Order: sequence, then C-alpha cells, then structure tokens
Amino acid sequence: MAMMANVLEQYVNNVTTLSQQGNFSQLCEFIGKSADVLAKNANHLDNVMGAFDVQQHSLGVLGILCIKYSLPNIADWEMLFIQTQEFIYTCNGEQVRYATDSYADLCHRFTQNLVEKKQAIRGIKILTKAISKIQLLPSQLTSIHADLCQLCLLSKCMKPALPFLQVDITEISKEGGQYDAKHFLLYYYYGGMIYTALKKYDLALYFYEVAVTTPCLAVSHIMLESYKKYIVVSLIVHGKIISLPKYTSHVVGKYIKSLCQPYHDLATSYSTSNPTELRNTLSKHTAVFTRDSNMGLVKQCVTSLYKKNIQRLTKTFLTLSLTDMANRVQLSNAREAEKYVLRMIEDGEIYATINQKDGMVRFHDNPEMYNNVAMLMKLDTEMQKCIQLDEKLKEMDREISVNPQFVQKSSGVHDEDLPGSSGPVTVKVPVGYTM
Amino acid sequence: MCPKEGSSLTRMTGAGDGIADFIQLGSDLENQEIESPGGIATPQLYGQLLAIYLLQNDLPNAKFLWKRIPQAIKSENAELSLIWALAQKMWQKDLPATYEALRKDWSDNVKSIMAAIQEATRNRVFLLVARAYSYIRAEELASFLGMSVNDAVIAAVSHEWTADSNTGMITPKKQEIPPEPPIPSEQQLSRLTDFVAFLEN
Repeated sequence: MAMMANVLEQYVNNVTTLSQQGNFSQLCEFIGKSADVLAKNANHLDNVMGAFDVQQHSLGVLGILCIKYSLPNIADWEMLFIQTQEFIYTCNGEQVRYATDSYADLCHRFTQNLVEKKQAIRGIKILTKAISKIQLLPSQLTSIHADLCQLCLLSKCMKPALPFLQVDITEISKEGGQYDAKHFLLYYYYGGMIYTALKKYDLALYFYEVAVTTPCLAVSHIMLESYKKYIVVSLIVHGKIISLPKYTSHVVGKYIKSLCQPYHDLATSYSTSNPTELRNTLSKHTAVFTRDSNMGLVKQCVTSLYKKNIQRLTKTFLTLSLTDMANRVQLSNAREAEKYVLRMIEDGEIYATINQKDGMVRFHDNPEMYNNVAMLMKLDTEMQKCIQLDEKLKEMDREISVNPQFVQKSSGVHDEDLPGSSGPVTVKVPVGYTM
Repeated sequence: MCPKEGSSLTRMTGAGDGIADFIQLGSDLENQEIESPGGIATPQLYGQLLAIYLLQNDLPNAKFLWKRIPQAIKSENAELSLIWALAQKMWQKDLPATYEALRKDWSDNVKSIMAAIQEATRNRVFLLVARAYSYIRAEELASFLGMSVNDAVIAAVSHEWTADSNTGMITPKKQEIPPEPPIPSEQQLSRLTDFVAFLEN
C-alpha cells in the first residue's frame, strides 16, 4: 500500500513539476510510461485527479482519463462523464496539443461509451467544444469530426454538425501518426448521411464522392456503402449516375461496382424514364435496399423520375394540358399533375404557369438574365473562392517541393540507398472494416 | 375577420421582427436541448422548438426532433402530438388540412408561434400562387389560404389581383422585382482589379 501511494505520488509530483517548467514533451513521455502503474492503481485514480488543476495540469488529467476509459469496466459512468466534460471544457489547448493522439483517443472512447449506452445526444456539445479546442484552424479535419457526426446521426440531432460540415477542409491533423484513413472516410460518409437526411442532396453527393474517390489499394466497406448512396443520390439530383473523376482508384471500378449490382439495375431502369419499370426494379431488390437501410432513399428516386419527366416536357412543349401531361408522364390524373407542377415551381425546378381556366400549363424560359447585381455578387464570391483555392494549392505545392523525401525521390536517389528513409506516405485503408 | 385577413397579407416581406425573434428563440432552445441533463429536455421546450421549425418550414429538422423526443414525454403531452399532426400535413403539402390542424386550442407555450405559422404559410402560398398561376379558381385560392371564398377574393383584390365573378377565376398580379441597390463603383473597380491581377499571374 505504501509503495502504491508512493508511485502515485511520484506521478503527481512529476506532472506538477514538468507542467510548471513547461516541459510538455518530456511530460508526455513520462505519462506514456506511467500507463501500467496507473492502470494497476485504478481505485486511486480519482484521488490523483483531485490533486490536479485541469487548466494547469491538462496533460496529467488527460493521462488518467485515458486509463479510466481503457479499464475493463467503468465503475461510475456518470462520474466519468462529468470528469470528461470538465476536462474538455477547461483543459489548456496549448498543453493538450502535445498529446493530440491521446486527446483524440479520449474522444473516441467517450463517443463509443455514449453510443453503447444510447446517450448520443449528451456528447454533441462536448465534442463540438473538443474539436474547436484542438484544431489549429477551422479548416483542419480531426479524427473527432467523425465521432461528432456519428453522435448527431444516432441522436437524430443533425444541426450541430453543420457548422463543421460547411467548412472546406484544407488539412488533416496528424495526431501523432494515429490519424487513420477510417476517420477520414467515416467523416465523409456520415457527413453525406447528415446532408441526405436534411435533403441537401447536392452537398450529400459531394461528401459521398470524396469518400469514394479517396486513394486506396483495397476495398473499404465505408467506401462501398458510400458508393451505394452516391448512386441513389446522383439519380435523385441528376437523373443518372454522374461519372466519377479520373483520379478514382481503380479498385472502385474493379471490385466495388460489381458489389452494387442492384443499384446499377436501379440506374438502368431509371434511364428508361418509365416509372413502372423503376418500380419493378425497386420491388425486385427490396430485400437488398432494406438490408442496406437505403429503402427510403431509393423511394425518393420514383418522385425524382416523375419530376425529371416533367422537366423533359418543358423542352418539347410551350403549352400542354394537365391531362395530357398526366398521360405522358404516367401520373393518375390532371389533379396529380398539377400538384407536381406546383411543387416544382415552388422549388424552382421548372418555370411555368398553370391556368385553371383552360387546364393548361405554359412553360417559360429561365427568367434569369444574368444581368443583375445578385448574379454579379454570386460570380464575385465564386471568383474569391477560386483565388483562395489557387493560393492554397500553391502553398501545398511549395510544401511538397521542399519535403526531403520528395526531393530525394525526384533527384533520382533510391530509397534503398538511404538507410532510415521511410519512403512515401501511403494512405492506410482498413480492409474489411464493418460499420 | 375580413379586413384583418387582408391586412395580415400585406406584410409580405415574410421575415417580420416577430419571425426573427422566434428564430433566435429556436437556436437558444437547440442549445438548451443538447445541454439538458441526461439529454432529455422539457415538454415545453420540445413543443416550442417543433413549432419554430414549422414556422421556418424546416420540415426535415422538425421530423428528426419528433423522432428524438422520448416516447414517455410524447404520450404524456397531448399537445406535442397535435403539433406533429400539423407537421405531417405540412409535409404532405396538404394546405386545407394544414389550416385545419392549426385551428386548435393551443396552450400559451406555442400559441403565438402557431399564429405566426398561419401567417407565414399564407404569405408563402400567396407568393407562390402569384408565381405559379395565370388563372386560379376562387375556391382553390380560398382552400390554399384557409379562408372563406369571400375573404380570399377580398385578400386577392387588396393586392390588385383581378377577380372575375362570372367565371369565378382570379388572375394574380405578377410579383414586381424590387429595384436592386447599385454597387459603389469604387468597390466594383477594386474587385475587378483583384480579378485581373489574379488572372494575369
């Protein structure tokens, strides 16, 4: 007992002294080595934590919390929840940046516990705080982003994720080399799901696309599921599968596509423009779509097809009777056709006026003349974005051109001639990772 | 009743001060909800937030809020189900049923929001009809606005729409596009300079 107390006392003393000296790198090393000792004294950890000030000894507290989460059983979850919350809210950002890997790990385990206990909503606020605290800039992606999105989806409380999803990512936090491709893929997959749930289909499509086009050498389940949703959302938005960019890894074409046959069938029957055919495919593959939890989304394709067919009519006709329209697009009657047209006018999907006097619809051209201030402003913002993107690209290009590994490679010196060189960085993709 | 309906439609800008206040209240409530002990908020909060989503016509978020309200709270608070019934009618874009669902004896908790929903819905529909119809039957307009045919005709005429009592048809007046504020020329010039500098490099 005396020895135990001694060991813990030493932990407290070292943390206090090294924190005071501002020697955080050495402190991290010490905490890493203390893990076993702390785990063996699990019963006393709360006492040890009591000896610290969260703001001054953030790394010491982080070390203990990580141990508490790694124990086989969590004795008092409510207590640990409050301790985690207090830590995230009050810890010193400068200090914890010395241990971004442990910090991220704490957030992952915290998330995992909330998910298991079906208390997802309780973690949302804490994780938003955790992300802003550890980020070096708002456009930096951390592995905690995926956790936040997961909690938002599970608790059906999507809005808190939006401020994060709206920022274009320009860099990824390395987190001591612990940042796994899984976190990146999950962020884009979950982000796409959030946008899909909120019916922001064009943004959802972009998120799925990023997941699907992530460079890889093996098939990831996250990419596979993203690809399925990519197909369906692409049909809803564009009425066809938008081809993936050229830089898409070849495994997508080689393996993933063949695993999504029912989805390709869906696209094929959509392309016939025949609602009956589409419905047939839908019922043929109901089991698959339901198993993939995509049934609700797939059903949206049917509505989308009616709309696309109506849109097509506007290219052929100037005026058309509602009855004629209902026949041509296989809606049951003029009344239903009018409902569709009204909704589409409301959503800006067609430009038309309905005349209830003679039951006709008159189609118009897009009234946008591209000659107004609003359009100029829009052009202006788009240009600004392009300029910023260009600057970012130049900056990244500069960084790469001074990277020692890159210089070695491009100057023709081979890896094997240089002992100790780790070679180019490859993205690690989890194989067979299940959701 | 008639003049009041007409006048409520004159405030067509949509986002009056009242709506802005409700939207602010909505984001406060969102924060309160996720910070509630145990992640469970009060029935009053859920009711108000749900109603404010409907006021913003933000149906997806209304749906997810309904889904995350604990079952026990739903079954103990009948008013929540009434608000959700309204949400469903709005989701189906069934306007007559929407007004029907709005005509309830609401508690003070949501009463003013419900009044604002009715006004916002009418304003939205009024603008939509102006955009989407060259001729609309007076009865149809009345059902879209949740008014008697008489009141609907009065409201339409007060906006310089023409009503033909012989055919029972109303011709909406096309919405005029408000004149655009000009951009100060120096500002525009400096922007153009930036663009040219960028493109030439």
